Amino acid sequence: MSALQTFMLVVDHDKQEAQQIAERVAQDVESKKTTLIEVVQSLVEYVNDEDPILRGKAVSFLTAVIKELPPKFLTRQQIQVLTTFFCDRAQDGGAVAGLETLQKLDRFNKPLAEEVARAIFEQFQDLQSRSQSQRFQVYQLLNELMLNYRSALHDMGDESLVGIVDLVTGEKDPRNLMLVFSILKVVMVEWDISTHAELLFDAVYNYFPITFRPPPNDPYGITAQDLKDRLQDCISSNSLFAPHAIPSLLDKLDSTSPNVKRDALNALIACIESYDPNTVSRYSITIWETLKFEILNAQEEFLSELSLKVLQGITKRLSEGITQISDQLPLAQYLRPITKECNEQLREPQQKQAKPAQQILSSVSSASAPAFTLIVQTVVAPLLTIYQEADGIAKQRALLDTLGVLFDSSIKVFGEWASRDSELTFENPLLEFKDQFSEIFGQALMGAIKEEVSFRTSALKGLLRLSVLRDYFQDNEIGLFVQYLDEILLKEESVGRDDIKKEAITALTEISKHKPRLILDITFPAFVATLPDSIEEADKGYMKTLDVLAKISVEKDIFETLVRRLLSKLNVLLQREHSGSVEYPRAILLTILFVMNQRKMEEDPNLEFYYDKIVVSLCRSAAAGSTSPAPNNILSDATVLDVLGRLCNLIVRALPRSKQDEIAQNVYTLFTSTEEFQPVPFAPSPNASQKRTMILSTAILAALPADVPNLPYATNPNMSALLADMANRATGETEPATQYAFLRHLALLANKFLPKSDLALASDLFYALLPPGSETSRVNPGTIHTLFWLSKGLVLRLAPTTTQHLTSLLALVSSVDEETSLTAARSFSILLRHDEILSATNGANIRLLCRQRVFTTLTPQISSRIREVNLSSSSAAAAEPQPQTQHIKPAHLTALSGILSTIPPPLVLPELPTLLPLLLQTLDLSTAASTPVRLATLSTLAVIIRDNGVAVIDQCGHVQSLVTRLLSTAEYSPANHHPKLRVDALNCLYLLAQTPGSSSSGGAESAAPAIARTGRLSPLLPVKNQVVRALRAILDDPKREVRKAAVDARAAWLRGVDDAGDEED
Amino acid sequence: MASEVQNSNPTILNVADLPTRLSSAAASKAGTGSTGALASIFSTSAYSIDWPTGLNLSSDSSDEDVIEEPIDEQEIYDLISSISDPEHPISLGALAVVSLPDIAIKPTLPDVLGSDLRTISVLITPTITHCSLATVIGLGVRVRLEQSLPPRFRVDVRIKEGSHSTAEEVNKQLADKERVAAALENGTLMGVIAKMLESCR
Repeated sequence: MSALQTFMLVVDHDKQEAQQIAERVAQDVESKKTTLIEVVQSLVEYVNDEDPILRGKAVSFLTAVIKELPPKFLTRQQIQVLTTFFCDRAQDGGAVAGLETLQKLDRFNKPLAEEVARAIFEQFQDLQSRSQSQRFQVYQLLNELMLNYRSALHDMGDESLVGIVDLVTGEKDPRNLMLVFSILKVVMVEWDISTHAELLFDAVYNYFPITFRPPPNDPYGITAQDLKDRLQDCISSNSLFAPHAIPSLLDKLDSTSPNVKRDALNALIACIESYDPNTVSRYSITIWETLKFEILNAQEEFLSELSLKVLQGITKRLSEGITQISDQLPLAQYLRPITKECNEQLREPQQKQAKPAQQILSSVSSASAPAFTLIVQTVVAPLLTIYQEADGIAKQRALLDTLGVLFDSSIKVFGEWASRDSELTFENPLLEFKDQFSEIFGQALMGAIKEEVSFRTSALKGLLRLSVLRDYFQDNEIGLFVQYLDEILLKEESVGRDDIKKEAITALTEISKHKPRLILDITFPAFVATLPDSIEEADKGYMKTLDVLAKISVEKDIFETLVRRLLSKLNVLLQREHSGSVEYPRAILLTILFVMNQRKMEEDPNLEFYYDKIVVSLCRSAAAGSTSPAPNNILSDATVLDVLGRLCNLIVRALPRSKQDEIAQNVYTLFTSTEEFQPVPFAPSPNASQKRTMILSTAILAALPADVPNLPYATNPNMSALLADMANRATGETEPATQYAFLRHLALLANKFLPKSDLALASDLFYALLPPGSETSRVNPGTIHTLFWLSKGLVLRLAPTTTQHLTSLLALVSSVDEETSLTAARSFSILLRHDEILSATNGANIRLLCRQRVFTTLTPQISSRIREVNLSSSSAAAAEPQPQTQHIKPAHLTALSGILSTIPPPLVLPELPTLLPLLLQTLDLSTAASTPVRLATLSTLAVIIRDNGVAVIDQCGHVQSLVTRLLSTAEYSPANHHPKLRVDALNCLYLLAQTPGSSSSGGAESAAPAIARTGRLSPLLPVKNQVVRALRAILDDPKREVRKAAVDARAAWLRGVDDAGDEED
Repeated sequence: MASEVQNSNPTILNVADLPTRLSSAAASKAGTGSTGALASIFSTSAYSIDWPTGLNLSSDSSDEDVIEEPIDEQEIYDLISSISDPEHPISLGALAVVSLPDIAIKPTLPDVLGSDLRTISVLITPTITHCSLATVIGLGVRVRLEQSLPPRFRVDVRIKEGSHSTAEEVNKQLADKERVAAALENGTLMGVIAKMLESCR
């Protein structure tokens, strides 16, 4: 059997075998064992057969052989013969593939390409009746020719144009269309289409709009958007299409489908961007006339936005190359009807359609300087006239807003002071109206009665825009505005929500970015002058002043001036004799802290100065003043020291490493000499003020890196003594702020500075404070807090003994001593709560899994302990109540809610079946002391319900019991005295009825009603009547916020919980 | 329902100008005196000192909790002003269909001492005098109030005098309990009303 016959036998079922045969023959041809002519001749028997399948197989054989030949093997004559052969046989299978192979060869040429193209056009008149894959092959060949021999096709002119259009007409397969569109686009862009524009246009426009929706799991991954993009490229490719494209696309806007309209508008935008300006100009007014309706009577927001984009696109194209503005420009002709319409709509600026008119003005006028100029020339004067004649302030306000829109456009076109664009050739047309604007807006801002807040706000915003607009106002004019703002902030009484003051602060902040000098020269002196020089003179007004100063001090120079002024003010206060409230100096420090927090202090050039003046000098004063009589109590007040500590922390953290190493030695001496001050650790009997300086020491220590050398008392021989001293002082301390400092200091040392090898020291300390077995006897609260803080330090770094510590701490909750039990229970929230000292910012040692560990260690223990108590109390109930253990269950529930409040909800969810019964039991607590516990539970429940919906509760089978408890918590009764309790319970009820997780899980389905989604009735349905009835009574709660929550919850249940699942199923 | 928009260009009030309850309670609660809502950099949450005693709820607010806040006209206004107009995605408040002075709360039985029954009357002002949707709007207001008020309140919704050409007819419909009940059984109508109430906050 010949190679050909074998090939024809196997080609259908064994592609590999067939290819091997072809390879062998090709090798024979190459090594001259046989000739190509012989191969062709061997086909004779089959190529004339009646059966097209046989013919196809024979031609495929030849193709397969040629494919295997090296690219330079065939001579020009051979290629020519083969091309002619394949062209004749084009309709037989394999011939198209053969041609594709041939055209890739080096010796293929232009005339042959022409021949192939012609053959395709002639032989495939019936292409659309063939299979998708065959059509795809033909398009692929055509596409290859387009890539490799475009000039050949191009030179064929109309013949190829018409040929291609005829060939592809009627194509429906999306894969093929992708190819067809890209082939057609080449023709549209490069051919002379003047005589066939409509033919070509129709060839692609027939597909508009694309309604293709890819089948699920489509292997080709072609989306409707891909097709839309290519089609849009074709439509917009040639200006000659405009007479056909633009009317057709505008017609499509009559469609009822918003998606079709969207496609039409997108195509319009593309056309406008690529057609030449003259063409765009010809259709500009027609387009406006049609789109006007879309914007003024917007069906959908996105359609109006796209329409505005079209108008803006036209404006941009028509503005190209304009050097001189005149009425005769196509741009001017286009804008005339637009401004006319807008002027008409804006005559009644409060009506609904004034808003779209503003939007039109905004998008068109921000397109270019010439457009802006033309619009200002026709729009501003009438607006000002209406303003003068306006009969009410509401109308005037709407007009100010309209002018504001133009100011915004002006900023877009001409830039702000601080922007660094190149100079523009056009003058800002608003300059002509400068004096009028100043007068109208100034009058509106300062002349209107104070209650007209929204009117004044509009005026203020307008003036702000004009002040930042580049090269518009003179400095003295902006200065006048700044003075207005100062006056509003300093002199005016508060009105309502103080909106005007908030806007004034925003405005000053904004101006400070552009004209810092004006703020420094005008606002600063005015504000600083109102700050009192002694505490006695200080009324509360200084708070407002400091607040404003802090907010406007964003810009570097202003920030620096502010800090210097405040520090000198503070120093004046520190010199004065005074006793009593320290709120004023504290507010000054807080202000400095606030502004420093806003800045990157590491990069601040004055960091050294701040370090000297704040850290060194103030800390030294605080330390020295604690042992010798000071003129006042400012630096011995705990709240002042706390703020100063945070400031020190911020500054020290920003300092370079070498400096930090130096500071380490001063953590306890606080930059004093030995005569001035004795450090607190190991001091025999420090006084209260002295001990209070630990607040500063703790804050400074927290800012230092973990591996800092020279830490006092840390290495002699180890940290054991220091830890014990801190623990000891913390336990016995009576002043809360000082105790807090000791506790945090201890936790900080154990967490960050205790070397890993020495962790046993901390563990030893733990058991020294709480000898094993002593958990159930009375432990004093100071010791309990010390234990918890020490454990916090260790748990965060996941020390090896974490589990034992946690278990010991939990044992304290079972203490028969009620105070011990409750103190311990409440302290569980300390363990993982965020702390400013032990924070990631301060480089504390916080392991990722510590939360998980605490949760998984403690929850099962609490759960089993509560079960134990429940059992024993129910069995003991008959016999004799045990008063000394009654507190144990609430205490455990308290501990649990303390832990839960610091655990992220995703960790909680897997444990929900165990946890939910416990949480429900906390809701049964009814003492006033349990209020925080119940609040914590409700907030945990709210997060769980919000993120996961009612389904998770239903899976645990607790819907009924949850709803009942929530309703009883929402009821106004002595047990639920705290209104937040009732509000939170109602909020949980509200969330239950909301469709869950529309933002998180659920995907596309989450939009459907709950019933349709789960395919069954809502688990809430059985309790719906109960809830709706109970909520009706709660609507009469004495507190307004509770009623509001009840209204929302009730509406959600009435709306969200369907009676019957008849929507879809 | 008329498919054509009847009033395509109504006057709209600015949301900032609508009557709201000034959070006088909240301001005085934050109340380190006259600092008011402005002094946000001193807000207690950001810079407070929390003591180590864990869940320690401050019981300072207990005094204020005792003060009762009765349902007043502003609260009724807040309930109904956020209902959307069936024609525009704009609230009844912004369209001035409902307004604060047109809401009144009176004892239902003024002669009976100590009776806590109250009657709320709401006058609605259609945007145009021949608006056929006035009934639907009135019904929506009624449904919202009946869903949101405790049972001791009676609701009376009417068209403001002189603001509508067939006010009497509409008022009769709105006052007729049986016709209201029948209307609420109508699926299409309830669909429209549910859509209007969607925007209620």
